[in-house]
This record gives sequence, structure tokens and C-alpha cells, in this order.
Amino acid sequence: MEQDDDRPPADAATALQLIRDQRAATVSRLEPDARLLYWPWGVAWLVGFGLFFLRFSPDGRVLVRLPDWLPLTALFVLLAAAAVVQAVAGARAYGQVTGDSARRGRWYGCAWALGSVSVYAGLGRVSEHLPHDQAGLLWSATAVGLTGALHMAGGAIWLDRDLFRLGVWISVLNVVGAFAGPGWHALVVSVAGGGGILVAGAVARLRQRHRS
Amino acid sequence: MSDLDPVIHAQARLRVVAALSALGDGDRITFPRLQELLAMTAGNLSVHLRKLEDAGYVEISKTHRGRTPTTLIRLSRRGRLAFEEYTEAIRALLDPTQLDPTQLGSTPSKEQS
Repeated sequence: MEQDDDRPPADAATALQLIRDQRAATVSRLEPDARLLYWPWGVAWLVGFGLFFLRFSPDGRVLVRLPDWLPLTALFVLLAAAAVVQAVAGARAYGQVTGDSARRGRWYGCAWALGSVSVYAGLGRVSEHLPHDQAGLLWSATAVGLTGALHMAGGAIWLDRDLFRLGVWISVLNVVGAFAGPGWHALVVSVAGGGGILVAGAVARLRQRHRS
Repeated sequence: MSDLDPVIHAQARLRVVAALSALGDGDRITFPRLQELLAMTAGNLSVHLRKLEDAGYVEISKTHRGRTPTTLIRLSRRGRLAFEEYTEAIRALLDPTQLDPTQLGSTPSKEQS
């Protein structure tokens, strides 16, 4: 065996093909499937905020009589599940590579975690003094705003145009939803936000397949 | 083909170098993961890595992750340069009409043997 693979490639074309195949195979295996990184978040937004809209609808109405606790619980469970899927997919792909990429990913993850905690700590102090619908809008508009900003930052870190665009999209629709008011915000974030994340995942997957 | 870098111009080592060249500039990969990517036996991969290390093309460092000893591998600056020169030389050897027009003009003809 070792004698065989010590031999030069048969000709230049074979050598070039070997280089291309090996590089493409390496890149595709060191990168998680983009669908696993995007789609669970898209589903969480679509379903979680969708339930919010149905239960806490605009102008204090109730479109579907769901238990009060259900929308928020469903949203948090789905977001937690998305985080787990992303962490597992990331660890399987990048787990055995160390260096600058790993450090970048770790610090970006810290920005998400610490950024969320610091923002929510402030919100928690304020929102108890607000009417229920206003408090809900404050929480979701802040959370979605932070998400949009961090997606744009991610686009800047990895020079990923699609990730940056997704951040812009989320930020813009967050503004639209916030002006539309309680209830409507949840609808906009569910359909346009969740849908946008699903589309971004499909686009990212297509790009991955195109490269390999 | 005789002018080509003999260290890289062997199927197995070309695959090793091509795989390492796909890593980010400041990144290192563990030995078992590289072995898995290349589908080589540990012994075979070690032999080729030693030849590449002797030529100064790869850097091999031993470290600990928790209590487990880990071997990390990366392409050195010199190795990256050698791989780029090799790839260019291969392109120059190929019939220019088969090349992507964007790659024409940059392939040095002095590499022709």
C-alpha cells in the first residue's frame, strides 16, 4: 500500500483533480450542514412567535384560546433545542480543529450569551411595571434586535454576506413590528423572521453544495 | 513532470497537503481527525507526515487537551507556498485551452519540462 501511494499521480490532470477533490471533501466535512445551523432557529421563531400572535393578538384579542403559559414555554423549549442542535453540529464539525477559527467561534458564542444576559437583566427590572402587552413587546423587540445585531456582527467576522443580510432583514422587520405594536410584532417576527431564517438556511446549504 | 517538488508529488502526500491547505490560516487539526478525513491508516499517515515535517512543510505539535495527549498538525508557511507553487506548475503543464480563462496568463511557462 505505502509503495503505491508514494507514487506520483499519473499525470497533471489527475494531480489537479486530486487536489480539488481533497480540498472540497475537507471543507465540506469541516463545516456543519447549514440547515442544522439555521432551520431549528427558524422553526422556533415561526412556531413560538406564531403561538404568541394567536394567544396575545393585537388590540387585546385572543384568536386561539391557548393556555397563557404555552407560547412562552414553547418558544423557550424550541430555542433551547435549536441551541443544542447547533452546538452538537458545531462540535462534530469543528471539534478537532483548534486555532483562530475556534477562538472566533468561542468569542462569538460568548457575545450571544453575555449579551443576552446583560440585556435581559435590565428588562426584567423594568417590564414588571408595564402593562402585559407592552412588557411582551419590550422583551421580544429587544431580543429580536439583539439577534439582528449579532447576525450582522457574525457576517462581519466571517465576511459572510448572507449572514449579514439576514441580520439586516431581522433588524428591519423588528423596527416594522415594533411600530405596528403588540401582537403584530409577534406576527411579523414569526412569518418574516422565522421564514427569513429558513430561507437563509436553504441559501447557505445551496452554496455549500455548489462548492463541493 | 520531473521538475515538480518531489515531496508533494506523491499521491498520499499531495492529499495530506491539499487537505491541510483547506484549513484556516491559523488553524491546526488533530491527528485522528486528519486520519479520518484522509481515510489513511495511522502508520501510513505518520510516515508521510514525517517526510513533510522533514521538508519543513508541516508543523506537528504535541499538547494536552485536559489529560489526553493530542497531536496537532498544520501546514507551515513554507508548506503552503510549496503547495501553491506545485498547483501552479501542474496548471501550467495542462493544455492551456482546457484552463479556465481567468487562470490564463498567470501560469509561468518556465515550469514546463
